[in-house]
Amino acid sequence: MKNGALVFLAALIALGGSWVGFVLAPTLQLGGEKQTVVLNGTDVYPIQRTGDATVGLQVYRANGCANCHTEQVRQDGFACEVTLTAAGKNPTVVSNLIASLKLDGLTHEQAEALSDKITAAGGKSETRLVATGGDIDRGWGIRQSVAADYLYDYPVQLGILRAGPDLANIGFRHPDMKWQLQHLYAPKSVSAHSSMPPFRYLFEVRKVADSGPSADALDLPKEFAPAEGSEVVPTEAARQLAAYLLSLRANVPLYEAPFTPVTTAKP
Amino acid sequence: MTEEFKSGAAPTEAEPTATRAATPMWIIVLMLILLFLGAVYFDHNSGWFDGRLYGPYSSTEQLESYQPKSGAAAALAHGKVVFEAYCGLCHGNDGVGKPGQAPPLAGSEWVNTQGFSRLAHIPLGGINGTIKVEGKDWSMNMAAMGAGLSDADLAAVLTYIRGSWGNKASAVGADDINKIRAQMGKSPAPMTGDQMMKMPE
Amino acid sequence: MNSANPISVAKIDASCRVPLLALFIGASVALIAGLTLALVAAMSFHAPALFASCPIFTYGRVAPAANDLLLYGFCVPAGLGILLWIFARLSRAELALPIVSVVAAHLWHLGVFIGTVGILVGDSTGFTWLEYPRAAAVLLFTGFFLVALTAMATFGARSERELYPSHWFLLAALVWFPWIYSTANLFLLAWRVRGGAQPVIDWWFTNNMVYVWLALVGVGTAFYFLPKLAGRPLHGRFFTLFAFWTLILFGTWCGIPHGAPVPAWLPSVSFLASTLFIIPVIAIAIIAAKTAYGSGVVCKGGPLCYIEFGTASFVLSGLLLIASACPDMSRILSFTWFGFGQFQLQLLGFFGMIAFGGVYYILPRIMGQPLPFPGFVRFHIWLCWAGIILFVIPLLIGGVLQGLANYNPTAALMMLRVSSMGLVLLLLGSLLFFVNIFVMALRWNLALIKTVIAAVKAPLEEAEVKP
Repeated sequence: MKNGALVFLAALIALGGSWVGFVLAPTLQLGGEKQTVVLNGTDVYPIQRTGDATVGLQVYRANGCANCHTEQVRQDGFACEVTLTAAGKNPTVVSNLIASLKLDGLTHEQAEALSDKITAAGGKSETRLVATGGDIDRGWGIRQSVAADYLYDYPVQLGILRAGPDLANIGFRHPDMKWQLQHLYAPKSVSAHSSMPPFRYLFEVRKVADSGPSADALDLPKEFAPAEGSEVVPTEAARQLAAYLLSLRANVPLYEAPFTPVTTAKP
Repeated sequence: MTEEFKSGAAPTEAEPTATRAATPMWIIVLMLILLFLGAVYFDHNSGWFDGRLYGPYSSTEQLESYQPKSGAAAALAHGKVVFEAYCGLCHGNDGVGKPGQAPPLAGSEWVNTQGFSRLAHIPLGGINGTIKVEGKDWSMNMAAMGAGLSDADLAAVLTYIRGSWGNKASAVGADDINKIRAQMGKSPAPMTGDQMMKMPE
Repeated sequence: MNSANPISVAKIDASCRVPLLALFIGASVALIAGLTLALVAAMSFHAPALFASCPIFTYGRVAPAANDLLLYGFCVPAGLGILLWIFARLSRAELALPIVSVVAAHLWHLGVFIGTVGILVGDSTGFTWLEYPRAAAVLLFTGFFLVALTAMATFGARSERELYPSHWFLLAALVWFPWIYSTANLFLLAWRVRGGAQPVIDWWFTNNMVYVWLALVGVGTAFYFLPKLAGRPLHGRFFTLFAFWTLILFGTWCGIPHGAPVPAWLPSVSFLASTLFIIPVIAIAIIAAKTAYGSGVVCKGGPLCYIEFGTASFVLSGLLLIASACPDMSRILSFTWFGFGQFQLQLLGFFGMIAFGGVYYILPRIMGQPLPFPGFVRFHIWLCWAGIILFVIPLLIGGVLQGLANYNPTAALMMLRVSSMGLVLLLLGSLLFFVNIFVMALRWNLALIKTVIAAVKAPLEEAEVKP
C-alpha cells in the first residue's frame, strides 16, 4: 500500500497512546506516592508491615490466594446522616421536628440545612458522613480501598475472583491468630459451607511430645483433629501467612475515602 | 471438505484480495455520537485526572464539600468565611492590618487574651477613640461590624481570629456571645480608648 | 525471485515445514497440558480436599498455570506459526531465516515449560496473566523477537508492494507483543513501581494481550482465510482499515474495571473506550459476514467452519467485554466466574478455533501430505461446538448467579459442574488435534530417517571409490 508508512505511523500512535495513558501516567501519578495522614488526625497511613507479616505476603502470592480472594472494598455511594446529640432547652420542639424529617441518606446541603434547623430549635446535632455500597453492607469494610492502602505492597494482590470473602479488613473481622490458623488447616471447621481447600501442607502433623502438647498446636473439633496422640502444628509459612492476614486492616478515614469514624462500640 | 485433505496441496492457490468498498457513513456517525456521549461521561465522572479523586465522588469540589470536619476545624472554617466577608477588607485577610485603616490582629494583645469579653465588645459596640495596639497608636473609628452577625457567626469569627496567624487564644462559643450581647443592651454606644483600657478581659 | 519467475506455492509451503511443525507440536502439547491443569483446578471446587496435602495442585497455583499454558503455550505459538505462513504466502517468497524461527520455537516452548513449573512450585510473580517468573519471561521475549525477525525478513522479501489487510493486523501484532510484554515485565518485575500503579499496569497488559493482541492475530488470520475459503474477495479494504484502526485505538484503552482502587479518571477512560469498542466489533462482524455469507460455500466441518465459529465468538466476546464494563453490570459481575468465562471465550472460543482452522488448512500443505486422520477434523469441531458452549455458557450464567447472590460460594456450584463437562469435551478434542499433528510429524520424520538410511546404505559410485 502506497501510504503504508502513514498506516504504520497511525498504528504506532494508536498503540502508543495507551502506553502513555495507562503505564506512564499512572506510574508518574501513583508511583511516587508517599505516606498520607489519616483524615482529621495526625497518624500516618499506611504503616509498613514488619516481621512475619512481610514474608506472609509472599506466602500469599506463592499459593495464589488472589485467585479466590480479593483485597479491595468497593463503594457505590456516600451519604450524610444527622444525629441529635443534645436536646437543649426545648426537647419537645426538637423531637417533634426530628420525628417528621429524614435523618439519613442526605446530601451535604440537606444535612447542613437540617443541622441548622435543629440548632435553631435549641438542640445540638452531629453530621456524619457514611460510605455506602454492597461490600460495605456485607461488612467487608467501612470505606472503599484506595491506592494508599497498597503503598508498601509488592506485589499488590487485588484479587480476581470472590470464591471466598474479601480480605481487605480480615484483620479486623478475625483478629485471632488461632482462628486464622485453624481456618487455613480446616476451613470447614470454622465455616461450614466453605469451598476453600484445606491447606494441610502448610501444617505438620506430628506425635505429641512426652512433655505434653506444644503451645502452637491447633485446637480442632473431633472430625478434623488428627489421630490420638498426634497434634497439628503450623509451619513457619502458615504463621507468616496468618500474620499477614492479621495485618490486613484498612478502616481509617482518608481524604480520598472520607467517613466519620464512630467512636462508640460498633466497628 | 475431506477431499481437500486427501489430495494435499493444490497446484495453484490464489492469494485473497480485497474489494475497495468504503466505510459506511452510519458507523462513522455512530462513532462520533459515542465519542460525544463518552466525553460527557468523562467530564462528569473523571475528576479531570485529579489523583485524589476516587469514584463515587464525581468532582474535587464535591469531595471537598463532603469532607467531615472535626468540631474545631468546622468552626475555624466557618469563621474564616465570615471574617473574609466582614473584617478582612480593613484588617486584611492575613490579619496584619492596613496602616490608616485598621490595626493588626496577628499578635495583638487585645486578641491574645485569657478572657474574650473585652474583645467581643469591639465588634459588638464599635470603638470611637485611640487605642494602642502592638506599640502603635490607632485613632480610627470602628463601626459595630459584628452587631448584625448572629451569635454563632460572631463566635466563629472571634474563634478564627484568636486561632490564626500565630494567635493562640481560646475559642469563643455562641452562648458566650449571647450573654455579652444581653449585657451590652440594645444599642450600645461605641467605647473610647480609655473605656477599653479599663474594661476587664 | 521476481514476478516473471514465481516460486511455486509448494516450495513456499515446504520452506515453512520445520519451523511451523516445531511451533504447532509445542502448541498442541501445551493445549492438552493446559486443559488438563484446568480440569485439575476445577476439581478443587468439586472436591476441595482432594489436593489438600499437595502444594503443586492447589487451586491458587494450578489455575494460573493452566491459564498461562493456554495463552502462552498454545495461543501464541499457534498464532505465530500461522502468521509466518501467511507472510510467506502473501510475499510469494519462501520463509526467510528458517533456522532462526526453529530456534525461536524451541526457546518459546522452553520458556513456557520453565514458567509453568515455576508457578507450580510457588515462584509465581503474583500478577495475573503475567505469572511466569523472570527467567521464563526472558526466554519468551527472545523467542518472540526471533520470530518477529523472521517474519519481517519474509515481509521484506515480498514482490507485491500493496499490502493486504491481514498484513496490517499481523504487523501490528509483531510490534505490540514485545512492547507490552517488555513494559509489563520491566515496570512490574524489574523496576517494581510502587503500590497503586501495579494493578493498573497489570490490567493494561492483560487487556492488551488477551483482547488486543489475540484480536489482531485472530482477526488478521480470519481476514486471510475467510476470503480464501469462501472464494470471494474480502469486503472492503478501506472498511477493514477503519476496523483495524478503531480496534487498536479503542481496544488498547479498555481494561481498568469500574470501582477499582485507583483515581476515578482511569476507570472512566476505560469505560469510554469499552463503549467505543462496539465500533470495531460491528465493523469486523459486517466485513466477515459480507465476505463469507452468500458465497455458496457451506461449512462441512473443515477449516472454514472453525474460522466462522471463531469470528462469531470474537463478536460475542467483544459484546461481553462492553457489557461487563458498564458500571451497573460491573457491580454484579466483577469478581465472579463471568470474567473467567469471558477470558475462556476469547482464548478458546475465538482464538483457539481460528488457530485450529488455520492449522488444519496449513498442515497438509506444508507437509505435502494429506492429514493422517481427516475424519478427526469433523469430530474435533463437534467436540469444540459442544465443549465451548458447555464450558463457557455455564460460567457466564454462574457468574451472574454468584453476583446476584452476594458472592455466596454455593450459588454457582451447579454451573461449575456443567462447565467442567465442557472442559472434558475440549480436552478430548485437543487430543484429536494433537494426534493429527503428531502422526504427521512422525511419518515425515520416519520418511526422513528412511531417506538417510537409504543414502547411507546405497552402493557407492564406481567413480567415488576407484582411485
